[in-house]
Amino acid sequence: MRRGPPAGMRFEEPADLELLRRMQRGDESALETLYARYGGLVFTLALRIVGDPELAREVLQDTFLRSWDGRETYDSRRGRVPWWLMGIARNRAIDVLRSRPHQARMREQAATPSGAHEAEPAVQGAAEATALRRTVAQALAGLSEVQREAIELAYYRGLTQVEIARYLGQPLGTVKSRIRDAMERLRTLLESLIEPTEDLESRRD
Amino acid sequence: MTDEHPIEALAVYALGSLEATERASVETHVAACAACAVRLRAFQGVAGSLPIGLAPVPLPPEAWETISATVRARRSHSRMRAKPTSMAAWLRLAGWPAVAAALAALLIWNVSLERELSRRAPGPAPGPEVEALSRRPGRIVILAGTGKPEASARLFVAVDGGGHLAVSGLAPLPRERTYQLWFVQTGSSAVNGATFRVDASGRAWVKVMVPASLDNVQAIAITEEPSPQTSAPTGKHLLDALPWK
Repeated sequence: MRRGPPAGMRFEEPADLELLRRMQRGDESALETLYARYGGLVFTLALRIVGDPELAREVLQDTFLRSWDGRETYDSRRGRVPWWLMGIARNRAIDVLRSRPHQARMREQAATPSGAHEAEPAVQGAAEATALRRTVAQALAGLSEVQREAIELAYYRGLTQVEIARYLGQPLGTVKSRIRDAMERLRTLLESLIEPTEDLESRRD
Repeated sequence: MTDEHPIEALAVYALGSLEATERASVETHVAACAACAVRLRAFQGVAGSLPIGLAPVPLPPEAWETISATVRARRSHSRMRAKPTSMAAWLRLAGWPAVAAALAALLIWNVSLERELSRRAPGPAPGPEVEALSRRPGRIVILAGTGKPEASARLFVAVDGGGHLAVSGLAPLPRERTYQLWFVQTGSSAVNGATFRVDASGRAWVKVMVPASLDNVQAIAITEEPSPQTSAPTGKHLLDALPWK
């Protein structure tokens, strides 16, 4: 069984950009490498959002098919390749989450665990993957409870800022401030993960 | 947006949580503001890194095989398109996007069919009619168990309107009850697509009468009804179709 390592957020040979170039030339092995690198992360994210393995599988497949057939175009100005893939997967998963049948289904199921960030890994990854996971989990733990809640509602529940304000019964300005402060804090704590990488990538070309 | 640098909006934008009207405003600003472009990229890095903190789960089996089969089908069709004289009549008549979508769906369909058939409880084989259906191009509609969470179904619709339904997770019914599949069409009442029972394992594989065009169908659902069948749904929705258009 394939497991996309979270460590894929680090650069590995061949570079992600090179994989995309090969995919544009129709090289299926490049897509397979990209899937092996990030499939696990995409599926984990999709499952976290939709809460249903079968629907998460559909999101996973759709994400990589869209990356292959040009329905989604990568723009290097918008960040790294995995961020782009996570964006596709997250948007597709939110579309599923917002569909009426899914909402009805979820209402009848137990609430999706919200503490997944603190959960023990179901799959033991490489040491680097575990370290990365711990880094992100610790960064999230460094937020206040209301900041974490705002991030959770925005990113994993797919609520807009107005919907979050309504859900929490807080002024819109308060929600905006919480999200901004949370993102600024995370930006600092995760600097090593998100620092600009164009130089690294160009050197590999 | 009144801020010189709309930092709050950038943060919300990166999380995909900004309303559409404000998104355009942010994009316009970022296109002209280098400082905000850098900040947005960093925020997008934060958002893209959030999934790393999740406890990883194993990839589902066969997911890559389905992706690969779809990719190869599209590649195969590209070759066929280069030789139009060798294509079947329906391929010549269809436009490229429709054919691509149909072939992709066919591959996923066949993989799904094989998986579904391999999971079937002991019972009568699907037979040549179902096998023939599985080879025709079409699309798949997923039905989720809105009223019966453990239930799920796949509706396979061929381009010529024929189709069949694979369903699992429903309870076997007494003689006087039955399940019915409904198509709710725009501007008209629901149309019965199939009346069926499930086996002891809660599964069924049934032929479906599909309306002329799924594009005119607003909703698809499965209900439990009195036997032999009703002309309109009276029971609660046990399964509902996810968006398929």
